[in-house]
Amino acid sequence: MDYINPVTLFFAAVFTNNILLTNFLGLCPFLSMSRQKRSAVGMGAAVVFVMACTTALNNLVHYKVLVPLGLEHFRYIVFIVVIAAFVQLVEMTVERFFPALYFVMGIFLPLITVNCAIFGASLFMVIRKYDFVQSLAYGAGSGLGWMLAIVAISAIREKLEKTAKLPRGLEGPAITLIITGLLALAFLAFSGMIRVQ
Amino acid sequence: MKKQALSVFYMFLITLFFASLVSAVKVLSEGKIQLNEAIKQQRIILRVLQIPVNDKAPDESVIRLFDMRVKAIEGGQKTLYVGYEEDGQTVQGYAFPVGGSGLWGPIEAMVGIDPQATKILGLAFYGHSETPGLGGRITERWFTDQFTGLPLRPIEGDQNIFYLKPEGTAEASNELDAITGATITSSSVEAFLNKELDNFLRNLWGQIERTK
Amino acid sequence: MPGPASKKEVFLTGLWKDNPVLRQVLGICSTLAVTNLMVNTLVMDAGLIFTVCMSSLTVSLLRKYTPMRIRMMVQTLIIASYVIIVDIMIKAYLPDISEALGPYVALIITNCIIMGRAEAFARHNPPLASFIDGLGMSLGYSLVLIAIALVREPLGFGTLLGFRVMPEGFVQWTVMIMAPGAFLTLGIMAWVWKYFWPQKEEKKG
Repeated sequence: MDYINPVTLFFAAVFTNNILLTNFLGLCPFLSMSRQKRSAVGMGAAVVFVMACTTALNNLVHYKVLVPLGLEHFRYIVFIVVIAAFVQLVEMTVERFFPALYFVMGIFLPLITVNCAIFGASLFMVIRKYDFVQSLAYGAGSGLGWMLAIVAISAIREKLEKTAKLPRGLEGPAITLIITGLLALAFLAFSGMIRVQ
Repeated sequence: MKKQALSVFYMFLITLFFASLVSAVKVLSEGKIQLNEAIKQQRIILRVLQIPVNDKAPDESVIRLFDMRVKAIEGGQKTLYVGYEEDGQTVQGYAFPVGGSGLWGPIEAMVGIDPQATKILGLAFYGHSETPGLGGRITERWFTDQFTGLPLRPIEGDQNIFYLKPEGTAEASNELDAITGATITSSSVEAFLNKELDNFLRNLWGQIERTK
Repeated sequence: MPGPASKKEVFLTGLWKDNPVLRQVLGICSTLAVTNLMVNTLVMDAGLIFTVCMSSLTVSLLRKYTPMRIRMMVQTLIIASYVIIVDIMIKAYLPDISEALGPYVALIITNCIIMGRAEAFARHNPPLASFIDGLGMSLGYSLVLIAIALVREPLGFGTLLGFRVMPEGFVQWTVMIMAPGAFLTLGIMAWVWKYFWPQKEEKKG
């Protein structure tokens, strides 16, 4: 059976199978964080880092610990614990040693633990039977795709807030969802972009 | 200190309780889940061998039908399924699993061929992680039914056994419709299916003919 | 915390006034993906209702014993356990649907609604009230999803619960099968909702 190139996986995760615009994951923080470009970028950066690392980490935990012990049915709990612990660790480290970085992205870290996209990425990794390198590529790509979506939407929203007077009822979640839908539609155009071999 | 110890103890107790609950449910349903897997496989095999089985047929009837009409031969890497006609003697066809990589993960399918390996009887996909609504459409009947009747021969030079062309443009008898919007899934399927069929014809088929 | 509300009030609040999806836009991640088919939506809703109710009930039962510091971990553990049980049940008794739902059942764990209700209500209230609160919230959530599926499946597949509902010559709106359709449908619904029932106060959502 052929091995799927991690680089292909990476690009596909960003564009053609964007974890937010195609798989609907990570919407909660997406809707609340996308009002300003700055918070969107900060949150996005944090997500990329955490998603890449935890997907790869969970890959190791799943195949090297859970499977040999026959405990795969506990993987949901284990994955969440790993993610929570990892985020906690990163937050402590960044706050202590990289205060400038903490100012940019550290404050979003506690919010990441409830980002379903991070958990979802690990779940997809198991379903699709990725190995370690593929998991890393997929996690990083998905995170980047998520960041791309949230930054794009935040840019649009910022502009919208300044220039447009929205009809009654559209403010807030409604217009954001509609814009997201249009963006998702646009991303469908990428589906022909990636060629294999 | 006491408070911390209490917290840890409480956590431990709760974890133990729920872990046991989950494990109990798992153990109780394990049998059913494995049975479901086996039946699903059997339905697929029957389908590609063109042995009719109603989608709504109860599990027991599927098992009975399978036991009557199909025999599995373990062959190291692959399992070969021999389908018999209603008399139980004449071979109706052969079925074997094939697989390859799709865009998102491994794709698994079952191919059924006629007793002389001249054409495909049926094709069905039973495992994939492709995008629902796009690549995921490979499981739809219109796509797999195209393969029924496809002539089989080993790959000569660069002449594939079949090609997947954009919907509506297929002309030659070995050109079939790809899935619009699922370019990579379509080309992946074309690639690995051609390879697997060619591999079967060149290697496995010779062994089967010899043992007939 | 306001004074104890009647059970009926609690139920109705979750169902309508404070409908989690349309008002607070909470927890749509996991379930929006499956709304292109009604049958998947119904199964997902059933799983969600079970989990929310049982989790709220359990958290409420344990509320006097759970140490403050570890309550989030305990809540997560409880929720995750119920979700795993639901997942196993669906895999065993509805295998085709389980495949179609994929990882989305597991994602109920991270659904903000469940944790939200545990934190905001179940932690402070008696078991029966918590159960009803969970029921109201999850039913309200389910209704919205069913409404979305009512749009997506007929327009996208031409069917509803597998039965053909669109006339023969109907050309499928493929966009409804895929992600953009869900976003647009939900967005328009949220718009309509807010238009006819605007928020009176700044209710923290």
